[in-house]
Amino acid sequence: MTAKEVAGRIALYALLAAVTFLVCFPLIWAFFTSMKPKDEIFLWPPTLWPETWTLANYRALLEGKDAYFQAGAASGTAVPPSAFFLDWFINSVIVTIGTTIISTVVSTLAAYSLTRFRFPGQRSVPYLALIGYMVPSIIFVFPMFLVMVELRLTDTLLSLILGYVCITLPFCMWLMWAFFRGVPIEIEEAALVDGASRLRVFWEIVLPTAWPGIVAAAIFTLIVSWNDYLFGRVFMNSMENLPLTVGVMHFFDGTHVDWGLMMASSVLMTVPMALLFMALQRHLVAGFGAGAVKG
Amino acid sequence: MRYRLSDRQVGILFMLPFLVTAAAFIVWPVAEAIRLAFYQYNPLRPDDLFWVGLDNFERILDDPLFWESFHQALVWTGWSILFQTVLGVGLAMLLHTALPGIAVFRGLLLFPYIVPTVVIALNWRWIFNSEIGIVNHALLRLGLISENIAWLATPDMAMASAILLNVWKYTPFVIICVLARLQTIPTELYDAAKVDGAGAMRRFLDITLPMLKEVLVVVIVFRTIWTFNKFEEIYLLTRGGPGTSTFNLAVYAFEEGMANLRLGVAAATGVIMIVLLLVGTIVYVRVSGFGREEKPV
Repeated sequence: MTAKEVAGRIALYALLAAVTFLVCFPLIWAFFTSMKPKDEIFLWPPTLWPETWTLANYRALLEGKDAYFQAGAASGTAVPPSAFFLDWFINSVIVTIGTTIISTVVSTLAAYSLTRFRFPGQRSVPYLALIGYMVPSIIFVFPMFLVMVELRLTDTLLSLILGYVCITLPFCMWLMWAFFRGVPIEIEEAALVDGASRLRVFWEIVLPTAWPGIVAAAIFTLIVSWNDYLFGRVFMNSMENLPLTVGVMHFFDGTHVDWGLMMASSVLMTVPMALLFMALQRHLVAGFGAGAVKG
Repeated sequence: MRYRLSDRQVGILFMLPFLVTAAAFIVWPVAEAIRLAFYQYNPLRPDDLFWVGLDNFERILDDPLFWESFHQALVWTGWSILFQTVLGVGLAMLLHTALPGIAVFRGLLLFPYIVPTVVIALNWRWIFNSEIGIVNHALLRLGLISENIAWLATPDMAMASAILLNVWKYTPFVIICVLARLQTIPTELYDAAKVDGAGAMRRFLDITLPMLKEVLVVVIVFRTIWTFNKFEEIYLLTRGGPGTSTFNLAVYAFEEGMANLRLGVAAATGVIMIVLLLVGTIVYVRVSGFGREEKPV
């Protein structure tokens, strides 16, 4: 390498590092803030690197103690919202897993059926699904709420699962349909000729090959249902039934905002997604490539 | 002998869960949304359900706040898409260079896309805090400002902060799409252009940009439709405020439904949004040639 090339390389790395730092800064700053004691958080000028590292904010969050919370105000409850943090976390986990299972199973079965058997109107289903995928949640949320009232499901985790299934199913359907169309059917046909039943072929031959598509659909569903705020806000009433996203916004209810608590919860909320991202990054990019994830 | 399902039975059996779910939780709500747009309905008094014809639509079109929201939605969408596209293409080209360790940067730069909006909104409120926020501190230290800026408390700055949030979260989407396309451009084209003496700028304008045109059109149409209808990115950061200065149609519909309990008006706003969406989709179908030739994605 010539000196010029080396210099060019260093410049590129410097540029990349600068951009990456700017992009990651809000998350880094949230992490630093969450590790500072209360008085240091409010120092002006702020300390960049925490002088004292502490887990006090995380402990307060998990034990449900909010130093600044005073009953009354907008919350309508005498208990600090942080007392429900663990409930919210568990709710979000249940809802996310439930939605992901239902959406991927239902869309996989339907997409297989659509690509292998004949139906009237078969060709229009995936395109209708694509249109359904473009419809923003704000249009679904109120009529969905009325449907939930009708079914007496409001304020239950099931209503959230059904709501998220409704916004994720169209894209999963589209993704799996596109996927199964690309899978050659010769092997299946050979197995059928050999006397294997349709269900057995599906279970033993089709599902293993469909795995990348199923993973992509599952990741999409996980992200949407873990991150959603709107449905949780409209469907749920009781503090203990909220999903994490709606719950933590209640930290603004007190008379003073406890930023340490807030940043600790934002770190804890990001960690599951970060782990998922690291484990499945390759699939994520493949899934994106397969049809552009909703955002 | 064991009973065996025929292909026809399997086909129907596999379709059934999808049909039932879609009918109950997609078709029914959409039908309900359209029906509701012609009714006056307060969820606290479920028995008062009046047919009001087009009153909801008239009310919306007479409401200055609707037009203000519409205008602000255009501002919000326009700037967001502009920055996302320019930054997305630039960063994608940067990430396309063959450097050792580039995968690490790719991963980190894509990460914002999966961070929950609530988390970003909390972080934004914290770093843009007017009294003890790190952004004001940094700008003061650099001498770029002489006194703290009230980022979220003045209309223009609140809109700018919301746009920045949107750009931060969704530029990775553009990067991914552009990067995927860049990887398919044969390098021979660039080599040939280099031999012909074309500079970096010429190569970008004559080779890269035309090659990216198709994917950029699709990305821009998609992002425009979604950004225009975004709710959480604005509401969680500013609640549409200060005042109503960061309302868009989604926030308008939400406030009508949730705060004013006028579900009919909210539904009518939704119908207007669906019409705008259909127009957008038609544009998309036209420009992408989608459906004309069938290709697996």
